[in-house]
Amino acid sequence: MATRVQFENCCDIGVFSKLTNAYCLVAIGGSENFYSIFEGELADAIPVVKTSIAGTRIIGRLCAGNKNGLLVPHTTTDQEVQHLRNSLPDQVVVQRIEERLSALGNCISCNDYVALTHPDLDRETEELVADILGVEVFRQTVAGNILVGSYCSFTNKGGLVPPHTSIEDLDELSTLLQVPLVAGTVNRGSEVISAGMIVNDWTAFCGSDTTATELSVIESVFKLNESQPSMIVDEMRKSLIDSYV
Amino acid sequence: MRLEKCWFCSSTVYPGHGIQFVRNDAKIFRFCRSKCHKNFKMKRNPRKVKWTKAFRRLHGKDMTQDSTFEFERKRNRPERYNRNVTMETLKAIKKIDKIRVAREARHHTMRMKGKKGMEQKAAARELEQDISLVKAPLALREKSSLTLSKIKVKASQPQAEYPMEE
Repeated sequence: MATRVQFENCCDIGVFSKLTNAYCLVAIGGSENFYSIFEGELADAIPVVKTSIAGTRIIGRLCAGNKNGLLVPHTTTDQEVQHLRNSLPDQVVVQRIEERLSALGNCISCNDYVALTHPDLDRETEELVADILGVEVFRQTVAGNILVGSYCSFTNKGGLVPPHTSIEDLDELSTLLQVPLVAGTVNRGSEVISAGMIVNDWTAFCGSDTTATELSVIESVFKLNESQPSMIVDEMRKSLIDSYV
Repeated sequence: MRLEKCWFCSSTVYPGHGIQFVRNDAKIFRFCRSKCHKNFKMKRNPRKVKWTKAFRRLHGKDMTQDSTFEFERKRNRPERYNRNVTMETLKAIKKIDKIRVAREARHHTMRMKGKKGMEQKAAARELEQDISLVKAPLALREKSSLTLSKIKVKASQPQAEYPMEE
């Protein structure tokens, strides 16, 4: 099910949080609303960790990870990296990377099997990604954008790419990633998909500006609907009614 | 908070000190004081500037390879917090510091070994060759007592002391 969220009145929640199948990272906000929404939804399944990276709150764009590991930039302080290591389960490998392109969340987009990276990423970083995240790495652009981490978002079930991606590009990416892809937008037409929403195999969170149409596209491509009829009615109601918390 | 090393002189930069310069290729240069910063702006190579650690290491004045340096390496993969390990680490830090200081002192003594002998030899040679700097050669030839020639004197038994008067 997809939930609408806001971080301090900003709809770009993918900037302030990171969601994977094994953990969820959340930025430290002024109030606890943001954190409590994630906690309410996810706490029984995965750990929800409040953190900062390099003293900033834009953690979603700075780090990249999946259920096997988490990569953080070299600007991350020792205390933050230690906090992450203590809070995350042992199967998740936390590694700090020395890399010129330090916004790893903008450069690397991954699920548990495949990763797309910025074409200018260092070779050592690419090897680290393949090694720690346990994925196959492809240097690709998405719709002509080199910041693949922010412009496309995919999980093990499906993926979303920006609206003006050509059909050939879509097919090529789909065969590379082995998941169905759909071109769509988030947050009322924003092309920066990964900045506007976060998703894992069973939940998604979008900015509160996301329209009902966008939400239904997200739910269908990421296969977030449970197949019981009553659940469908409930969830459709949630996505059809633009509710304000 | 992390105690970084100055890029130029390799001394520790404490919080509140120094300047950090980030180049366009995203490389960060940290300087402990304006002296190092200005030298960097002048494009001086720290390996050629005598008072920096880089020079001293390169020219063998300071210890280069030692196992104690391995402990201070920056680590990118943290380990889960364990109280016992932390306690042991804190104790070990003090001990390793002591050992490192002792090794550096030993390196220094090894480097300075033989200095005294060389100094003595150089002084003796100088006395032989350059005595003319002190006394004119004419004066030396006239009064032979002024030269320091090597005379072999036999050590005699202590004789009875003569009375002081007459």
